[in-house]
Amino acid sequence: MSSPVLSGRPLLEVSDLRVTFTRGGRRVHAVNGLSYEVGTGEILAIIGESGSGKTVGARTLMGLLPPSAHVTGSATFDGTELVGMPEPQIRHWRGSEIAMVFQDPTRSLNPTMRIGTQLTEAIRRHHDVTRAAAKERAIELLRLVHLPAAERRFYEYPHQLSGGMRQRVVIAIALAGEPRLLIADEATSALDVTTQAQIMALLLELRERLGMAIILISHDLGLAASYARNVVVMYAGRAVEYAPARRLFTDVRMPYTRALLGAIPQLERPSHGQLPVISGQPPDPAALPEGCPFRPRCDIATDKCAEAPPFLQHQPGHWWACWHGAAVQAPAAMATEQAAGENGVR
Amino acid sequence: MAIVEATPSVITAGPVEPPARAWLRRLSIVVPAGVIVLVGLACFLGPLVLPVPKPVGGNVLNAGLPSFSPGHILGTDPNGNDILSRILYGGRNSLIIAVSVNLIGLTVGGGFGALSGYLGGATDTFIMRVFDVFIAFPSLVLIIAVAQSLGPSVITAILALSFFGIPAVARVARAATLTLREQPFMAAAKLCGTPWWRVLIRHIAPNIAPQLITFAMLGMGLIIVLEGALSFLGLGVPPPSPSWGNMISEGQASLSATPMLVLWPSLTLFVTVLAFNLLGESLRARWSSR
Amino acid sequence: MTAIAQERGYRSTWARVLRSPALRLVVKRLLLAIPITLGVTILTFWVISLIPGNPAQQLLGPEATPQQIHQMELQLGLDRPAYERYLSWLGGAVHGDLGTSLVSGQPVTPQLADRLAVTGELVALAVFGSLALAIPVALLAARRPNGVFDRVSMFVSMAGLSVANYVLALVLVLVFSVKLGVLPAIGFVPLSQSVTGNLQSLVMPATAIGLPLFSIYTRFLRGDLVDQMQGQDYVMTAQAKGIDPWQVLVRHAFRNSSYGLIAVAGLNFGVIIGVTVIIESIFALPGLGQLMLQGINARDMVVIQACVVVFAVVTVIGNLVADLLQTVLDPRIRYGDR
Repeated sequence: MSSPVLSGRPLLEVSDLRVTFTRGGRRVHAVNGLSYEVGTGEILAIIGESGSGKTVGARTLMGLLPPSAHVTGSATFDGTELVGMPEPQIRHWRGSEIAMVFQDPTRSLNPTMRIGTQLTEAIRRHHDVTRAAAKERAIELLRLVHLPAAERRFYEYPHQLSGGMRQRVVIAIALAGEPRLLIADEATSALDVTTQAQIMALLLELRERLGMAIILISHDLGLAASYARNVVVMYAGRAVEYAPARRLFTDVRMPYTRALLGAIPQLERPSHGQLPVISGQPPDPAALPEGCPFRPRCDIATDKCAEAPPFLQHQPGHWWACWHGAAVQAPAAMATEQAAGENGVR
Repeated sequence: MAIVEATPSVITAGPVEPPARAWLRRLSIVVPAGVIVLVGLACFLGPLVLPVPKPVGGNVLNAGLPSFSPGHILGTDPNGNDILSRILYGGRNSLIIAVSVNLIGLTVGGGFGALSGYLGGATDTFIMRVFDVFIAFPSLVLIIAVAQSLGPSVITAILALSFFGIPAVARVARAATLTLREQPFMAAAKLCGTPWWRVLIRHIAPNIAPQLITFAMLGMGLIIVLEGALSFLGLGVPPPSPSWGNMISEGQASLSATPMLVLWPSLTLFVTVLAFNLLGESLRARWSSR
Repeated sequence: MTAIAQERGYRSTWARVLRSPALRLVVKRLLLAIPITLGVTILTFWVISLIPGNPAQQLLGPEATPQQIHQMELQLGLDRPAYERYLSWLGGAVHGDLGTSLVSGQPVTPQLADRLAVTGELVALAVFGSLALAIPVALLAARRPNGVFDRVSMFVSMAGLSVANYVLALVLVLVFSVKLGVLPAIGFVPLSQSVTGNLQSLVMPATAIGLPLFSIYTRFLRGDLVDQMQGQDYVMTAQAKGIDPWQVLVRHAFRNSSYGLIAVAGLNFGVIIGVTVIIESIFALPGLGQLMLQGINARDMVVIQACVVVFAVVTVIGNLVADLLQTVLDPRIRYGDR
């Protein structure tokens, strides 16, 4: 661990972030109160199902929301407020302070532009350099992300590369402005498992070498928890639990997180047994329940849950939004998983 | 829509936006449709209800009256015929031709296109190659040549324009069917042993109908323009029987002296075509947003 | 080091072009154009054969004796079956001989060349003029969808789409020739005679053809640009680099939309060619369309046939050029991605 969290001012501080869209005459609450901190060089994981607001929450930091989005709350990066920052200024921040890697490497590169052009475009946006220097820097970046035959790739088009290679290029583009924070939005979800591990290893290596913080956005709690220091769990647009990764395995406090942990397949389970699933569906967007959004699927919900539980720091470094947090038990099988989890935590 | 996909999210009930936009959306369909109905009614029922003189055989003493003359609101042409009357009767021809061509296009072209897309293979290749030849043909040149061969008449215009309409609809129908073919219910219908004509009528036709109708609305405007072009060249509706195209053509000779002879039918043509185009666009926007 | 890498890059690009599916695609499209052209000539021949009346009778006039007519029929080969006549016509056409006019007795081919130049200039002016106008308008409209400029340009282009070419032509004549008297209503000045005179004689005809084209191009391009900007992840990547939205629009979205625009221009080529017939007749331009109408009025089948075939071949070539441009320019097709 390079820098201890919360020592001094964190690099990024998000508190009570809310994003609403107006779509088809309706107001869509995509993010409904999201708070977390990221220290310099720290890896934070944001976990949630699709539609839980994790992607919108991250794009808010980049100012990459459609015009109909309305953002309230606060997100300070190195002491500067990002919410409400005028477009030209936030454009200056994009790439040079915060950069982003997107989910699908087959779609996130311009199919009709050479890789070199897409890279040098980013380099020349942030550095006043000549064409030749930008090209040299681009090849350097391609080597940094371990793209084989970097000089040749410079002239190639995205579809001539494999998915893993494309994602390396996307990462190289993100690194062009030497950002202090890299947001990886499901950056490995579209890749096969071997490539996934290679890309994760690359991200960790880059963090070591460049000292940048990383936000890992994922639906895969197992993956995220084994790389991240802290984990934010999101449900229906809000943060429901926020804790150090290893703590989630030993001392889970939110029934939804527990259900996610229980859904990770384990070797210890009897074969041919039923896989545990979270019963029910995420809340029907048209009829969001009053109070706790997880109430309809929760097995320990009581009448009290009709009132929304606040997201509070109940123990040092451990936040959750549940009235019955004290009553939640870690899934039985987690006892063994816990050891594995601790080994995995970096 | 990357962002839309990413955020099914939470929607609280109740529209925040005033229903103005929904109204606008509805208006964009209702207004052009209303204009089309109005033009249709005026052309087909107008002469029966209103005191409109006959479009032909006018009195030469009344020739060349300016617009807004008593008894002849839009004036008369050099033959003494009432211009309003000629526009209304001419509209009948234009609309009959356009609707006929569209119906022929939708049934024949739609049928061949859907069949071609559904059956695929050699049948598809053959049908589409034949239509490729038609499409490679400069449409108006083909239409003019056909119209010339058959001699000017309303039927000629319908047949000639169908040469253009059928392959165009066939292409759209084929493309729509191809995307439909991948759907599971098509496989289900096939597995049940449904004969191909039944699949075509019961499964494909209802599903590609919205796209074809939208295309037909845009086609209506185009066919009215092309019909006008044929009549303009003297290859469509034969004078003295009126049509918007031959009225514009006749007025061309005295364009500098009496521009109204050209402007009134032109304006009618423009408004009608615009209404069909707007309706087609609105329908397309509506279907694609679903 | 850089120079070496660059050279290697270029060399490998060339090597790849030769190896790539692009070359095969180009050859395939060229080969496909042959049956289409043949089909077009057959269709023409068939349509023309539907024209009622006896060409021999036509040629000789009403006073001709049946014997003379029979003699002429033999001379014209009308006694032979249609496919034989087609084949002999095709044989001549391949060697550049499209027949002899029934009316003037002159060979048709030399007449066509001059007229093709007039029509070609008119079409080129209309297509490239409307493209040159449509691209900036669509870019500005797509910059702020549903903004003022977008709405105005969409309204204007919808009107442009709905106005018939011949109506537009007459309105132009009414305004610029009759009322203002700044442009000639009819006639053609060859480029070799006077450049300004040439442009003056073509500006109204080209506008009459070009305005609806401008509308089609603008609406297509604007729609595609907005789709790219709102729906494509690579746009997000570009924005995440911190480059400004206008550059994302021009450098990224437009580049990708332009290939579709080429395809649309190609698809519309047949319509444009057809429209020139009417426009040439209104402005009395000595183009191919006018020759065809003269042929129609004189019932000169040889002339009609020659004109229709040339029109059709020009259309096939136009489509082919658009197709090949797309194949050669779009790297996705060039390297066989699609």
